[in-house]
Amino acid sequence: MQENLAIASVPMQEWGALYGAEEALRVGTVFQDLNKPFFAAPSDGTDGCSCGCGAGKAAQERERMMAKIQETSFALDDVRLYLDTHPDDRQGLAFFKKVLAERKTLLLAYAQQFYPLTVDCIADLYEKNPASDCYCWQKGPMPWEGACV
Amino acid sequence: MWIYEKRLQYPVKITKTCPKTAQLIISQYGGPDGELSASMRYLAQRYTMPVKTVGGLLTDIGTEELGHMEIICAMVYQLTKNLTPEEAKTAGFDAYYIDHTTALWPQAAGGVPFTAKEFQSKGDAITDLTEDLAAEQKARTVYENLLRVITDPEVREPLKFLRTREIVHFQRFGEALEKTKEKLDAKNYYFFNPEFDKQFVDIVK
Repeated sequence: MQENLAIASVPMQEWGALYGAEEALRVGTVFQDLNKPFFAAPSDGTDGCSCGCGAGKAAQERERMMAKIQETSFALDDVRLYLDTHPDDRQGLAFFKKVLAERKTLLLAYAQQFYPLTVDCIADLYEKNPASDCYCWQKGPMPWEGACV
Repeated sequence: MWIYEKRLQYPVKITKTCPKTAQLIISQYGGPDGELSASMRYLAQRYTMPVKTVGGLLTDIGTEELGHMEIICAMVYQLTKNLTPEEAKTAGFDAYYIDHTTALWPQAAGGVPFTAKEFQSKGDAITDLTEDLAAEQKARTVYENLLRVITDPEVREPLKFLRTREIVHFQRFGEALEKTKEKLDAKNYYFFNPEFDKQFVDIVK
């Protein structure tokens, strides 16, 4: 970064400590250096979510797996933006490769156990079972339906 | 091209109807610093960006903002899906209910409809990236204003997540501005417009 008169300067971020995927999704970034909580909304988990609603066992398992997908996909979203401005960062690239592979495995497992999240997941299902006559795209609750579905 | 993925970026599970809260957070759907405005701003600006990787960053952040719009819409929907006529009348959602029932429509908290006047696509990389830095700060302020007055943890958690994203995006736009400056003359960044005065540009695509 070069500082000059009459133009904004922001230092380039350096690779540093990361949050685990679950905590990263909760606070909104995988990068510990970029977590800057607001005084009226601490990121220490005190707000918590009480979202239990006595859902059946299958729904609970589906929610558990969806949470894994959301966590892994979010880590991917965040490191991708980092790589957009740090394309030569080897640690960033190694992390990117790791979460990309994890996400692929999770998406396939979710499609097999519950329903496909993308059209490419449907292709994976047909590849595993060419005789399938399931259209499948309309299976599962819509993402905006929320709790207890 | 975009491909839909049938999930939210951050989970929204709101179990208590609250039209008043819906009326406030709808501003982050169609308000001046909302997610619709953010996504349209970045996705409009990217075509003429002189540094290719900055166009790539605008695509990725613009796409994430579409996902944030979906989170806000899911919140408004869940806060009002079991609305009774009595609640519609008394809880601060009455004017919206008359025009839209409980459907989603992009407007600000004060009722002003979404408009492209809320953002700019100016055709100058320094100008546009400076606007983007300001846009992230304005959205952060709105999330903080919401967090001061909303107490339901099921609503606060997604708002906290979205607020942090504004800070991360600010950092990335700052880095994009640094990448753009590298390609210009530090003695005078304003000698020409790198998106238009192409006779001066020696920018690696």
